[in-house]
Amino acid sequence: MNYAHLHLLFNHFPIIGTIVGLGLFLVSFLGKNQDLRRGSYIVFAAVALMSIPAFLSGYGAQLMVKGPGVSDALIQRHQGAAMLSLWFVLATGALALVGLWQAQRTTYPPRWNVAAVLLFSLLTVALMARTGNTGGDIRHPEVRPGQTLATAQDTVTEGTIGAIFHVFEPTPEKFSEAVTFSKWWWTFMMILHFLGLIMIVGTVGLLDVRIMGFLKQLPTAPLHRFLPWAMAGLGVNIVTGLLAFIGLPENYIYSGVFWLKMLSLLLLGANAAVFYLTDIFAGVESLKAGEDAPMSAKLIAASSLFLWFAVITFGRYIQPLGDTLRPGN
Amino acid sequence: MAVPLIFNTIEQTALSTWLRESTSVFGFYFILLFHTIGMSLVVGASAVVDLRILGIASALPLKPLKRLFTIMWVGLALNVTTGLFLLTAYPTKALTNPDFYIKLSFIALAVITMRKMSIQVFDDASLDEMAMIAKGKAMAAWSLVFWVGAVSAGRLLSETSKYVLYGHLWGS
Repeated sequence: MNYAHLHLLFNHFPIIGTIVGLGLFLVSFLGKNQDLRRGSYIVFAAVALMSIPAFLSGYGAQLMVKGPGVSDALIQRHQGAAMLSLWFVLATGALALVGLWQAQRTTYPPRWNVAAVLLFSLLTVALMARTGNTGGDIRHPEVRPGQTLATAQDTVTEGTIGAIFHVFEPTPEKFSEAVTFSKWWWTFMMILHFLGLIMIVGTVGLLDVRIMGFLKQLPTAPLHRFLPWAMAGLGVNIVTGLLAFIGLPENYIYSGVFWLKMLSLLLLGANAAVFYLTDIFAGVESLKAGEDAPMSAKLIAASSLFLWFAVITFGRYIQPLGDTLRPGN
Repeated sequence: MAVPLIFNTIEQTALSTWLRESTSVFGFYFILLFHTIGMSLVVGASAVVDLRILGIASALPLKPLKRLFTIMWVGLALNVTTGLFLLTAYPTKALTNPDFYIKLSFIALAVITMRKMSIQVFDDASLDEMAMIAKGKAMAAWSLVFWVGAVSAGRLLSETSKYVLYGHLWGS
């Protein structure tokens, strides 16, 4: 398996997922179906998480297909489109999580949230379509208008719609330079990345430890009120992490431990899904002081704690083990 | 000011050389990993207690959070230990960098605040929750400031150091 496989494995989720999410979301307006709306929000959050490996593996795939027969300009255009759609799919996912959190208390997500999710998911579908199209153009010359097979051109001619999109798309190189322009800015991002890590470990770790059966004097319901802080820390770390990757992709794509860190994060997503979307959460949602959690919840909590420490461990070794996957190594 | 010769002596020891030069995954980065884990324990647990005192998750009973101080002390002990190893690996680099002393000062202030909160807020059984919060509020806010300062100064170390090793400036 290589990066191109990995990219093909992940890159369909954000495109199809946002369309499915938007479909469910729009249907939920008919008859005000809150279950359907909740479902669409969960899809948006899952798609946001899946878009991260889709984006990261694209950088690796780029290195593999570069060469004769493949247009650099087409790759650049796709990369710019991906860089733009990435932030919108993440914002949609973040807004969906805020909505899910608020709906816990009020049953409905607030109106501002529904409006924001509608706006961002519509924009994301459009941007994802553009990303998918420009990506397909790289390797599927049969869908390129006016092209003979295996023609590698240096410039891209945009249609009317493409030209509109292109105005908003960053130039990949300039984006990378903007992130690495100063070592102080870089250090500032890394400081934020550490503070985000501390927020996650402090809050999620405490809940995990309580569910596992330590610190049983603490009731779980109020502990859960720290969750937005963990999510804020996660948000900060996803943004700073992605910016660092965009700034110095070569530091990451050849590092085996970097991919293991990403795998651990996906497993954490799966772990959280099992926790919140099954009856397990209901069983530990409001444990009183001294009450024991069921074994299933303890296992989920232990996996969460283990995986977060795996994330830290793999992250710390990216620097010394940054070259393990470099060809010829 | 001349760089003290003792730094050179430390750097020449077998332990210091091994920490720097070993390609084993249990070398320098292993110590650094536990330094990061220790940080997440001491600062993470402190942050949760501070935020609770400042009004987040206000339904959480305050008194049992006393046990989080054990986690904080364990994290601190881990970081003092790993920190001494890191210092053994690069004494000149750390001790000639003003930022290193800023970091230590922030840690000292944070730990003093932590201890003060432990004794004055959590060990005083006569206080009810309201009184604990009233007494701990300023300490909680300062604790957050000091820890953010310590973490920031720590991350800035590599960007601000003048020497790599004794007699070796960066880039020379």
